[in-house]
Amino acid sequence: MLFTEVRGLPVLVPDGGGPLGTVTSLTVDALSGSVSHVRFRAGRFGREKEVSWDTVETVGPGAVRLRSATAPEPAPSSHHELLGRRVLVDTGTEHGTVLDVAFDTRTARLLALFTTRGELPAGRLLGLGDYALVVREG
Amino acid sequence: MNELMAARSLTTRPVVTLGGDAVAHVKDTVCDAAAGRITGFTLTGRGLLSGPLKEGLPWQAVHALGHDAVMIRDRRGLVNAAAMTAHRQSLRARLLGARVLTEAGTEIGTVLDVVVEGGTGGRVVGFRVAASRRFVPGPTRHRRRVYVPRGESLTVTGRALVLPEDAVRHVADDLPGFTALVGGVPGPWKGSLP
Repeated sequence: MLFTEVRGLPVLVPDGGGPLGTVTSLTVDALSGSVSHVRFRAGRFGREKEVSWDTVETVGPGAVRLRSATAPEPAPSSHHELLGRRVLVDTGTEHGTVLDVAFDTRTARLLALFTTRGELPAGRLLGLGDYALVVREG
Repeated sequence: MNELMAARSLTTRPVVTLGGDAVAHVKDTVCDAAAGRITGFTLTGRGLLSGPLKEGLPWQAVHALGHDAVMIRDRRGLVNAAAMTAHRQSLRARLLGARVLTEAGTEIGTVLDVVVEGGTGGRVVGFRVAASRRFVPGPTRHRRRVYVPRGESLTVTGRALVLPEDAVRHVADDLPGFTALVGGVPGPWKGSLP
């Protein structure tokens, strides 16, 4: 599934009731190359909250479903958004910006990054910081 | 051969860790006394109003010098800038404006910029020189800038660089031409400096 497809999906809990909010973004752990948290927001002016990937039951179709008894925490501000981020090869040359990311909805592993300069395998990820996403030279 | 770049163009290039965080900007390049290789960089803070940093970046901490960023392994590689520049010379302080002569005494011109090799080597490959009228004849109003390869045996005496005679036999007009010139010459250019 693509990050842009997940964005905007409602976040549901199994014991009924309305959705907790809609997904704003996914937090990625660059070291393990997988999605670590799901961030969502209730309404347009609600505070952004996040849940750990372990509490997510399924992603899609049409919704992100959580396991029962999940208490979302207020999202920390240290989140680095992957979409739109500058891509730097570790030789110090830029490689466009991230357009979209494909990931496995069961294992949370990233599969591929789609940048403005072409596709990159997720295995080349080195780090994600406040300035850029760093990838290994191919 | 790695990309060649003018040392002046390194100023304001971001210093980025492999984790993707920008630490600082390059303020100036520091090279060794023989003007043979880069030994480090002095740094400026990232903010609009932040001044020069007390920390400098030694070349050993550099992962790669690239076209868009100077990559470092992590923030711990930075050292005290005063210790780094104590015996070395920053480019602006000594090399820029220095006279370039040949061993026979022919005046070539004055140094405008230093050309360095990107990647992991950090070699000084040549100089951008405002050519003297005797070396490159032409109209006075249009002074020519030429790229002169460093050569193997360069000596720095005070504010003058003395090049071997054969180093100035071929010069280039622009950086792409200089890349071809330096990359195409067989022999000592192929390997790195000892």
